Amino acid sequence: MYGGGTTFEGIKAEKKDDPVKLAEFEARIERGEKIEPTDWMPALYRKQLIRMIEQHAHSEIIGALPEGTWITRAPGFKRKMALMAKVQDEVGHAQLLYSAAETLGKSREEMIDDLINGKSKYSNIFNYPTFTWADCCFISWLVDAGAIVNQLANAKGSYGPYCRALDRICAEESFHLKYGHHCVIYLAAGTEIQRQMFQDALNRWWPPMMHFFGPSDKISVHSDTLMKWKVKMGSNDDMRNQFLDMYVPKIRELGFVIPDPKLNKNEETGRWEYTEPDWEEFKRVINGDGPCNKERLAVRRTAEERGRWVREALRSPKTVYQMPLA
Amino acid sequence: MSDALKELIYKIADDQFILGHRNSEWTGFGPMLEEDIAFSSMAQDKIGHSFALYTMLRELGEQDPDTVAFTRNANQFHNCIFVELPNGEYDFSLVRHFLFDTAEALRFEMLLNSSYEPLALLAKKIRGELRYHTIHANTFLKKLGSGTEESISRLQKSLDYSLPYAMGMFEPSPYESELISEGIFGGEEKLREQWTKKLRK
Amino acid sequence: MKSLDPRVNRLPEIDIENSVSRKDPLDQLGTYEVFVQPKEGKPFQHEGALHASDREMAFVLAKESFTRRFQCISLFVVRTTNVFVSDTTEDSESVYDRIKGDVDKGGNQQSYEIFNLYKRGKQHVHIGSVSASSPELAMAAAKNKLPPSKTVYNIWTVKTSDIRFTQPDEMDLWNTLPDKKFRDASDYKGGDKLKEFLERSK
Repeated sequence: MYGGGTTFEGIKAEKKDDPVKLAEFEARIERGEKIEPTDWMPALYRKQLIRMIEQHAHSEIIGALPEGTWITRAPGFKRKMALMAKVQDEVGHAQLLYSAAETLGKSREEMIDDLINGKSKYSNIFNYPTFTWADCCFISWLVDAGAIVNQLANAKGSYGPYCRALDRICAEESFHLKYGHHCVIYLAAGTEIQRQMFQDALNRWWPPMMHFFGPSDKISVHSDTLMKWKVKMGSNDDMRNQFLDMYVPKIRELGFVIPDPKLNKNEETGRWEYTEPDWEEFKRVINGDGPCNKERLAVRRTAEERGRWVREALRSPKTVYQMPLA
Repeated sequence: MSDALKELIYKIADDQFILGHRNSEWTGFGPMLEEDIAFSSMAQDKIGHSFALYTMLRELGEQDPDTVAFTRNANQFHNCIFVELPNGEYDFSLVRHFLFDTAEALRFEMLLNSSYEPLALLAKKIRGELRYHTIHANTFLKKLGSGTEESISRLQKSLDYSLPYAMGMFEPSPYESELISEGIFGGEEKLREQWTKKLRK
Repeated sequence: MKSLDPRVNRLPEIDIENSVSRKDPLDQLGTYEVFVQPKEGKPFQHEGALHASDREMAFVLAKESFTRRFQCISLFVVRTTNVFVSDTTEDSESVYDRIKGDVDKGGNQQSYEIFNLYKRGKQHVHIGSVSASSPELAMAAAKNKLPPSKTVYNIWTVKTSDIRFTQPDEMDLWNTLPDKKFRDASDYKGGDKLKEFLERSK
């Protein structure tokens, strides 16, 4: 699961790129063809893709933690089996995405090192706690729904290995979305306590959900180059709008109240209006000061550390690391 | 015959359920991503097997699987202590997975001939899953058992710690002779012999 | 550490601060490519890559990483270094046009598996095997023996003996795959419950 929080830096094409090769590269993307690992690509394209795919992969393994909390406490067989499979999928998505990023020349180990040392980012929303089962259901349904909006857009991007990973991921996410919706329908149709539980979760999670798609276009840096190269596929506000279009009616249908009195669709413009999310909080959390940042990284670090003897024992001079093919 | 059968099914179901629960705690914390995924799948298989067995008990007049699995008190469970021990480090989880799943594959191999048809059918159905579990356990145990000094000594330590507990997997049922004479199950003693033979290999 | 996750609270304590610094810089394992056959009569297709210590482990891990849902009846894995890759072409140029139809002058004949890429951005598909004395000559042999009906943009070739195939007695590994409905969206239809709820709350 992944939002639009990717931070891009240095977004001007470097002058030293061979103009003939660059023109061929851009023409290929213009035709709608994919770029493969063996094709020539501008250094900036490689750099920004690694950054984006890596952040996406980190969001998957860190994203496995807040829901993982509820694996041992899921209510009943059906929920337990589904949640185990869902959290497992998040780990699987990380596996696929690291692999896609590896084709660009950065090893998984380097990426995970950068994650646990705080050098690279992941989706902000996973720095919030899942106090109750309903928080877990909110993630399964709505955070995954948001992720699908982003991922479907990114799947039309220009880099072959990333698109193939996303095709697979989107197919699996449809299970997450249906499962999450199923859970919330049952809470909505349940007892008053169950309904209140989800309403409370909605109140807690709505602000981070609005943050999920990244800063407003008004304050975020535009990059025509990355759009032209089909690295970034849509603006943060477009993605947010698409999500609101699809899911606000579904939340309201269940009788829940979204905690934003200003939330309203302007029928003339077709755009949603809402209270401006607190972008200061967004920045604060992304820079490490959210409710769970420390715990998430500490848990990931512990997992890496505890697994190290296994990886060391499995290492062999005969099978050294190599970049995956595609 | 019904009490004997129920006791057997409870025992197998509870062992699978509790160990599946324990192993599921690794999801998201595995030593490497690919193994995290594999270990989670096998935990899911175990919970799935227990569900099939609790469903069988339902046919024999017990309560529905959710009630049985999630609302009994600790002293009403029939599992051995081995499966409920905390996960500890991955070495212990892996050794337990190896010892338990080797026994489980043999147990269901024996149940292929059970006179109680639902058990025989289940044994036939999940044969491939259990085969995967043992291939997985053997591959990792062999690799780590010949890896580094640290991995070898970790496995040895976990094995020494586990073996006495593992004997609990073969605790005979109060209805053992009935189960054997009715052809429902060949018996814990026979299973333990086969398991010991397999481990020596 | 104290966590909201009961699983985390059960993890044995370790001294993270002091151990991270002594990290060995190279604990990345080898890379393997995974090929999956979804059903009888369909060809094997490239599914992705993973890291493992050897071929056997790669096979074991590939099964759950790549075939835990949807369809599968067989899979195989090969080390990435053992895959030989041709040039890549585009538009209407078939990569086979660049392969010279060299005559294989004998030498040590071995079996090679051939994989074609029919569309850029998609997966390589297994098309069959040929006998040759080198990977290059295997591609030349494929040009004659397995002429493609569509434009091919890229070819992979792998020595058959470098592959870990699914063994005949392992074919039952996927027997229960169709029963694992809990991994499918189709198992979570909430429509009726929703309708009942909407009726009730009118």
